[in-house]
Amino acid sequence: MKNIVIKLLASMMLFAFAFSTNAVASEHEQSSLKASAHQEETYQPKPFGEMIVGFLKDTGVVAFVNPDPNELSSTGEKMSDFHKGWGRIIMILIVFLLFYLGIAKGFEPLLLLPIAFGGLLANIPIANIAGPHGFLGVIYNMGLANEMFPIIIFMGVGAMTDFGPLLSNPKTALLGGAAQFGIFGTLVGAVALAHYGFVDFTLQQASAISIIGGADGPTSIFIATKLAPELLGAIAVASYSYMAMVPIIQPPIMRALTTEKERKIKMTTLRHVSRLEKLVFPILVLMLAILVLPESTPLIGAFMFGNFLKESGVVERLNDTLQNSLINITTIFLGLGVGSKLAADQFLVPNTMFIMVLGIIAFSVGTAAGVLMAKFMNLFPGHKINPLIGSAGVSAVPMAARVSNKVGMEYDRTNMLLMHAMGPNVAGVIGSAVAAGVLISLFQ
Amino acid sequence: METNLVMEGVKFMFLGMGTVFAFLIIMIFTVNLMSFIIHKFFPEPSAVNETVSDSTQQDNKKIIAAITAAITYHRQG
Repeated sequence: MKNIVIKLLASMMLFAFAFSTNAVASEHEQSSLKASAHQEETYQPKPFGEMIVGFLKDTGVVAFVNPDPNELSSTGEKMSDFHKGWGRIIMILIVFLLFYLGIAKGFEPLLLLPIAFGGLLANIPIANIAGPHGFLGVIYNMGLANEMFPIIIFMGVGAMTDFGPLLSNPKTALLGGAAQFGIFGTLVGAVALAHYGFVDFTLQQASAISIIGGADGPTSIFIATKLAPELLGAIAVASYSYMAMVPIIQPPIMRALTTEKERKIKMTTLRHVSRLEKLVFPILVLMLAILVLPESTPLIGAFMFGNFLKESGVVERLNDTLQNSLINITTIFLGLGVGSKLAADQFLVPNTMFIMVLGIIAFSVGTAAGVLMAKFMNLFPGHKINPLIGSAGVSAVPMAARVSNKVGMEYDRTNMLLMHAMGPNVAGVIGSAVAAGVLISLFQ
Repeated sequence: METNLVMEGVKFMFLGMGTVFAFLIIMIFTVNLMSFIIHKFFPEPSAVNETVSDSTQQDNKKIIAAITAAITYHRQG
C-alpha cells in the first residue's frame, strides 16, 4: 500500500516537473524570438574599429572631461557644462565627506550613508540613475514625491516614543512649543533675505527651509516635497547633519543663556503614569488635531498610530515591525530617494549655501527660544524648571534630551535631567508636526 | 514682486506660533483632565497595593515557617 502511494506521488511530481519545464521553455522561446526580432530592427553591423571608438566615447572618463551636449538632467532639463563635468566631481567629493562624517564621526550614519550613496549614484554620467527610469528615480517617485516614506518613518518613531515623561509633567510641553520659534523666526529671516534681494526664495521655499528649525528629519522631508521639491536634497542634508551636530551646536547656546544657579535646579521626581493614561493619550492628541488643525493629521495621525499600537500592548508583532523592519526598510529607501536629489545640477547652486546657513540659524534660534521659555515659566509660582531641558524642545529625539542631561551633569553630578527633558522633547515632535500643518494649510 | 514678503513672513510667524501654543495649551489642559479622571475613576495603584500586601503576607508566612522550623530543630538538638 505504502509503495503504491509513493509511486503515485513520484509520478505526479515527475509530471508536474515536466509540465513546468515545458512551460518555461516555451516562454523562453517566445521571449528570445521577441528579442531577436527587436534586435533585427535596430542593430546595424559596424566595422570593429568604429565599435571601439563608439565604446570609448561612452566611458565615464570622456563623459566627465568632454560632456555630451545633449545630455539632460534627471528632471529633463538642459545642464550647464560645469554641472556635467566638474560639478559631478565636486559632488562625489562631497559625498566622500559625508561618508567620512557618517562613519568616522558617527553623524546620523543610519540616514547619512544611504543619502550619500544615493548622491554618489545620482552623479554618474550617462547612466541617468536618478532619472525617471533609473532606480533612484523610481524610488523617489514611489515614496518621496507622494510623501509616503516620511509618514511611514513617523509611524516607526511613534512606536519608539514613550509619552510617560510628558504625561507626568504636561506643562513642559510649552517648551516644545517655544522651540518651534526656530521655524517661524527663520521664515521671517529667509523672506527678509529674499526681500532685500540677496536670494530669490519664494514664500514656499522659505517655509520649506525654515522647517529645518523643527529639527525633525521626516517632517522636513514631508514639507520640502510638498512645498519645494527642488530644494529637497539640500534641506534633507542640512536637517540631518544639524540633527547629528546637536551635541556641538546646543551646549554653547544653553550655557550662554543660563546662570550657574539655574543650571543646578533640581526638578521634582516624575509621578507614575498609568497604562490607561498612556493608551488614551495618542487618541486624545489625534482628536485635538482633528478639531484644531486637520492639515497636521497626516503626520500626527501616523505618529499616534505607531504609539497606540505600542501602548495597546496586544500587538507586539506589529509594534516590533514598526520599530525595526519597517522603519529600517523605509530608511534605506528614504535615504536613497533623498540622495537622488544630490545631483550636481540641483545641489551645486547658490541657494544651497543659504539653506545651510539658514538651517543652522533655525536650529540655534529654536534652542534659545526653548531655554528662554523655561526661564520665563520660572517667573511663575509652582515647581521650578531647569532651563537646560528647554533646549530639548527642538525635536531631535532623543539626542537633544541627552544633551540636556549631559550639560546638567557637568554642573551637578547628581542631577539627572534625562527623563525631564524627554517631556519637551516629544512635545517638540508634536509641535513641529503642528507647525508643519500650519504651513501646509497656509499654502492651500 | 510687489507684495511685501517680510510682512507675509511676520504674519505666518504669529499665526504659526499662535497655533502651536494654542494646540499645546489645550493639550496640557485635556491631558490634566484625562489624568484626573483616570486617577479618580480607574485607579491603578490600588491593585498594585493589594499584590504588594499579598506578597508581604506570603513573606511573613515563610518567615514564620522558617522560625518554627528553626525552633523545633533547636529543641530536637
